[in-house]
Amino acid sequence: MSEPVNARILGVGHHVPDNVVTNTDLMRVMDTSDEWIQQRTGIRQRHFVTEDQGPADLALHAAREALREAALAPADLDLILLGTLSPDVDFPASASLLQRHLGVRGMPVMDVRNQCSGFLYMVATADAFIRSGDARHVLVVGAETHSTGLDLSTQGREVGVIFGDGAGAVVLGPEPDAQKGILSTHLHSEGKFAEKLMVEPPSSRVSPRVSADMLTGPGSRLWPRMEGRYVFKHAVARFTEVITEALEANGLTKADIDILIPHQANLRISQLVAMGFELPEEKVFNNIQRYGNTTAASIPIALYEARREGRVPPGTLMCLASFGAGFTWGAALIRW
Amino acid sequence: MPAGVVLGWGRALPPRMVSNEELAPALGTSASALTERTGITRRHFVEPGVAPSDLAREASLDALAAAGLTAEDVDLIIFATMTPDIAFPGSGCFLQDKLACRTVGALDVRAQCAGFLFALVTADRYVRSGKAKRVLVAGGEVYSTALEMAPRAAAVTPIFGDGAGIAIVGAGERAGILGATLHSDPGDLERFWCEFPASRHTPARMDMEHFNAGDHFYRLDAERVHPQAERALAEATREALARADVPLERIALHVVNYFDPRVARKAIAGLGVPDARILATAEAAGHVGAGGIPIAVADALASGRVRRGDLVCCSAFGAGMSWGAAIVEL
Repeated sequence: MSEPVNARILGVGHHVPDNVVTNTDLMRVMDTSDEWIQQRTGIRQRHFVTEDQGPADLALHAAREALREAALAPADLDLILLGTLSPDVDFPASASLLQRHLGVRGMPVMDVRNQCSGFLYMVATADAFIRSGDARHVLVVGAETHSTGLDLSTQGREVGVIFGDGAGAVVLGPEPDAQKGILSTHLHSEGKFAEKLMVEPPSSRVSPRVSADMLTGPGSRLWPRMEGRYVFKHAVARFTEVITEALEANGLTKADIDILIPHQANLRISQLVAMGFELPEEKVFNNIQRYGNTTAASIPIALYEARREGRVPPGTLMCLASFGAGFTWGAALIRW
Repeated sequence: MPAGVVLGWGRALPPRMVSNEELAPALGTSASALTERTGITRRHFVEPGVAPSDLAREASLDALAAAGLTAEDVDLIIFATMTPDIAFPGSGCFLQDKLACRTVGALDVRAQCAGFLFALVTADRYVRSGKAKRVLVAGGEVYSTALEMAPRAAAVTPIFGDGAGIAIVGAGERAGILGATLHSDPGDLERFWCEFPASRHTPARMDMEHFNAGDHFYRLDAERVHPQAERALAEATREALARADVPLERIALHVVNYFDPRVARKAIAGLGVPDARILATAEAAGHVGAGGIPIAVADALASGRVRRGDLVCCSAFGAGMSWGAAIVEL
């Protein structure tokens, strides 16, 4: 094993399906309003697949874009990680399907199932593999096809309006300068609240794990359940806590943050967190307005757009942070 | 650079043992026919409501005690399973709560039957890179609630059993995970998979048509998987030995995790390893997926078949296809 180095992001990619679903579109299938959705979540539109497309299909486009920027071929990858809570099939991992779509074999692939924090859990894992000298190039993709598992009737509107489909990817590689790249990662969980935001079936603790009554009618349990207010309250507290932890671990203060890219769960959560750190609007990147919550994909999609807008010049101190189902939460500090 | 060492192993099997005699009527055949087809004679099934995280909790207490640690000492959980407690969140979150760990990270990984090896190597990389000091690595499955009890499943259902195993990976000066290799090849993944529920299926992940067709049950073309598994297990073992720079003769026990114990044995015997040094995990209590290796190692330690300080070679092959091997000092 070689000496430890930092890991850094060599390339970023994103992909969303073409089909845009606006709040007004949703008003045709449920009793809701553009104003109600925007006021609660900030969301104006999201993208939904229109044909059989799983997260691995969306991930392929994002991965290719990230590889292009990194000037690498799929065969150069030593490890592929895919984060999703809406896997293509029951098993194997969606990462296996992505590996097939990329036309490569041999390197290990695995799924990371950490919901909205999936991207940060993968970045931490990629960092561990690269810093230990075991891998040079790691592909990390967050990808979701939520739309095939949402109750888009009036009864399901609290949750149904929030989520969108999409994928975001980064390629990571070694960074010899210890002052650059991923400075630290911080991961947390609290399973006491696992059932505050969940999808139960297929559930190995229920016999049989899939039954007809789970699939049909207004009681379908394939749809997510969320105690929104509860999640909101914990999200603001945990986002704040873990960003503080990341800053302290590096001897930095909130004034050092050049850009915060929070997981895009809810615009109101992001705004409250930013306010707590006294971050002006130009130091926080939000795009939930156009994509909804794409869980594991949200941070890399936002990162892609932030860079495209020129908001990540060299030397930028970036803070990525997330909170979501599990509960799981995390943060990473990155020097570009 | 610190290195990963395994500080303790633990395992838990649910109390209810299910024989081939008990399964045979529902599967429309005889107990001996099931044994002949699968090489498996018995397995354990949970009582209703028991999840992989429950079995993993029990196994964790065992492993933490062996390591002389408490749940408070754990700074990362990695949970490998292909039969999670619920669709989401992951089983690691449930285990964090059931063990009353601090609010540490709980990484859930999916690499099917090789999941434990993928998780073990990941734990080692967290320790080597200084990102974690004591990682609780869990592999656990509750397959019994997913199995089809009908004659057409007679070649699949008898294979699987429930259980969980744990390895606690800590930081040492000298490597305890001496060499490892992990691989995936998706070329023939439909030979062993379960398609539904499928998020890629529009407009809904699962409908009555697919339910009635039984597309939420496991599909396995064992005869076509065996040759690939046999080659891959042997090759991975050679690779891991080379990376660890350890001669084959120094391995006290080969712990081989594959759903057909006869193929598992044959793969390693082909390297010139005597039968007494091969432990096919599925022999004792069926194939337990990500739980197979740590359950078998904990068993072998408890029975005195191996001792602390011995070198074992853990290998696995399964759906994905994903496979690997690791040389571990006990």
